[in-house]
Amino acid sequence: MLAGQIVPTSGEVRVFGERPFNNLKVSVNSIYVDDQMNFSLEMTIKEILTAANMFYPNWDQTLADRLIDYFGISIDVYHDQLSKGKASTFNAIFGLASRCPLTMFDEPTTGMDYSVRQDFYRALLKDYMAHPRTMIISSHLLNELETILEEIVLIKNGSCILHNSIEDFKEFATGLTGDEESIQSVVNGEDIIYRKHLIKKQVYNVVGKSLSEIEKRQLSEAGVSITKVDAADLSMYLTSETKGGIDDVFTSS
Amino acid sequence: MVLNNDSSKPIYIQIAEWLETEIINGNINANEKMYSQYQLADLFNINPATAAKGINILAQHDVLYKKRGLGMFVQEQAKDQILLRRKNENLKQMIHDFLQEADYLNIGDQELMELIEKVKKERWENS
Repeated sequence: MLAGQIVPTSGEVRVFGERPFNNLKVSVNSIYVDDQMNFSLEMTIKEILTAANMFYPNWDQTLADRLIDYFGISIDVYHDQLSKGKASTFNAIFGLASRCPLTMFDEPTTGMDYSVRQDFYRALLKDYMAHPRTMIISSHLLNELETILEEIVLIKNGSCILHNSIEDFKEFATGLTGDEESIQSVVNGEDIIYRKHLIKKQVYNVVGKSLSEIEKRQLSEAGVSITKVDAADLSMYLTSETKGGIDDVFTSS
Repeated sequence: MVLNNDSSKPIYIQIAEWLETEIINGNINANEKMYSQYQLADLFNINPATAAKGINILAQHDVLYKKRGLGMFVQEQAKDQILLRRKNENLKQMIHDFLQEADYLNIGDQELMELIEKVKKERWENS
């Protein structure tokens, strides 16, 4: 909808103050990169780049050429002849080189090798710093790119359930391992966003609030160990339907 | 240095500690310009906002001062200040952990003091 590819069925979307659907101003100033990007079947990679240069006002041909060369993408072939990984890499390069004030990447790393993904994240960061602009990235590989992010938005069933700075997000939850009663004597049950039964009375709980120094001390004195919760795990707990995750499926009621 | 993303220490705290270590080691001296958030972001592959947060911690501790339009600079007494604060905070934390362990083991104050004396003596004999 932001990219003007779908018309909203209700409500209103505005990008740069205008309705994005069929809007030239929004089209030249925004780009939406995903693994289903449509390019003309009649044009080679080289011709696609030439056309992009004419369309996008901020297009950086030098950057595009250098990245295409670095990632070893042949410019004389057609887009549908590229392998899955190479097509994703090309789309990502296209997204970067367009230098659009609103740049959206929807799962840009699908099919890319680990090393290519690392290179892409670094290219993204470097180009963002040289030419700051709004970049929105959706990804299931939060662990890999969390350090380069500034803010995070979690979406569950189509609605936004959290929007925070990445640092606050990472500090928002705490993992507690220990005796269930000791944990419950300090922590309110409502704050628990994930619980896993370990052995005997031992549980692993994730609480969705930052604990005070006093609470931390009370817990550690009761033998409860306090750990950091990985950002990717936390997103999983917050977007999960149950508080026990996959284990609930295997628990006979 | 490589940042540890799995550590319970947030990235910006690790950045702040790294900067402090740079000052202690004399890689940045008093009245010299501190690295910018963009230099740090590039160096550690992190978002510049995270890097800025790390730099701000040093500014809050008065280790850095701001020159209008020029950026952050290292305070005259920065090195001593960092060392003093690390001593106070780290040592206090260690004593806290130590006392907690003693509680677990049901060791009273008397026994604790005897233990400290014993270890001190062993150290002295060994040196």
